[in-house]
Amino acid sequence: MKNGFVIFLAGFAVLVTSWGAFVLGPQLQLGRAKQVPILNSTDVYPINRPGEAAQGLQVYRANGCAACHTEQVQQDGVACEVVLASAGKNPAVVSNLLSTLKLNGLTEEEAQAAVDKITAAGGKVETHIVATGPDIARGWGLRHSVAEDFLYDFPVQPGSVRIGPDLAGVGSRSPGANVVLQHLYAPKSVVKDSAMPPFRYLFEVRKIGGAFSPDALNLPKEFAPAAGYEVVPKPEAKHLAAYLLSLHADVPLYDAPFTPAATAKP
Amino acid sequence: MSDETKSCSTETGTEPTAARSQLPMWILVVLLTLLYLGGIYFDHHSGWFDQQVYSPFANAAVLEAYQPKSGAAAALAAGRKSYEAVCGTCHGNDGLGKPGQAPQLAGSEWVIAKGYNRLAHIPLAGISGPIQVAGKDWNMAMAAMGAALSDADLANVLTYIRGSWGNKAGEVTADEIKAIRAGIGRPQTLSLEQLNALPE
Repeated sequence: MKNGFVIFLAGFAVLVTSWGAFVLGPQLQLGRAKQVPILNSTDVYPINRPGEAAQGLQVYRANGCAACHTEQVQQDGVACEVVLASAGKNPAVVSNLLSTLKLNGLTEEEAQAAVDKITAAGGKVETHIVATGPDIARGWGLRHSVAEDFLYDFPVQPGSVRIGPDLAGVGSRSPGANVVLQHLYAPKSVVKDSAMPPFRYLFEVRKIGGAFSPDALNLPKEFAPAAGYEVVPKPEAKHLAAYLLSLHADVPLYDAPFTPAATAKP
Repeated sequence: MSDETKSCSTETGTEPTAARSQLPMWILVVLLTLLYLGGIYFDHHSGWFDQQVYSPFANAAVLEAYQPKSGAAAALAAGRKSYEAVCGTCHGNDGLGKPGQAPQLAGSEWVIAKGYNRLAHIPLAGISGPIQVAGKDWNMAMAAMGAALSDADLANVLTYIRGSWGNKAGEVTADEIKAIRAGIGRPQTLSLEQLNALPE
């Protein structure tokens, strides 16, 4: 072992390099992430999940939802759209100009050129920023996921396999807690071809006492329990539903800019 | 057998060694090419480890270019920037004011008034003396902090404070600010009576 010290140094260097790349680097990059302003409003993002939803994250984790669901929307590209706000004093000239110009799927420079031309003709335009990509076309989100989406979650559940749909924005597209709970109890009663296993143990099938429980699920006939029984969600199911409904990763941020469909006027 | 081995080693007299030989040129070329291509890929896809840059944005400059430049979103973003630089120190970035420094803007009747003529006069001309804001009495002086801002900047700031922290008053245009500024001429600090004498 006349080279023992050299071998030790080499091994040490390998460990330090990998620690630097996988622990120190990400910490320096994202360790100080904090709430950020939302682009089209004066609010900040994200806010901490309400208590039930925070508990629901642990139910989500315990049931291994992240094995089949992701919470990260991917974005392939970004494009600009030029939208006419008002035609100005000579609408005929502007509308002629508009018919000759390409107004969708522009790069930022092309959009600026189009805006300059229309403004020179007297029209008033707005530039909209649109995220593109298969995930966005499927309606899973409006922008790519960013680190802030997970700011208050521990442990984060980004997932990596998509047997089910992405859930980053499920709270925005879900009709409500009743449907989410029904989906958990009997997935096929909501989505006919669902591959999701039913999570019946999150629910209690019990005999109806004096009156219907207000929480009881309203199930279609083939999924309903025997007459005289009702399906009531346990607290875990309610927490999980609250967590799913708290997933709204679809606000415009500096790191993920886009123009929301209907900008609320102040 | 043992004799033969012995004789073999005594014949050569030394143990076998590997001579130093030159690194083949092709390996060097391939490695440098890979390094070059890797460098190009890194430059296009790493975003230089900026925490705000995600794919598909190549770097911070591209991300900046795709920020909204027109419409309400841009006005609010620009207004917030100027507000936090100029006004936020005293009025607070949360618009709640600071005791002994400046009154709150959130819910202030001066800010959310239907017309913004009086509101625009405050940063353009300055104000001093007793004034009541959201039910609290103040007696301080504010210099013409907004006089140095451009018409568009001040309009954005006023749009921002009129649309933030629960305030829901309308937009302020740069043309209006220009007209109001021209009407003031040389800034002269206003008192409450002078402010109330102005049209709303």
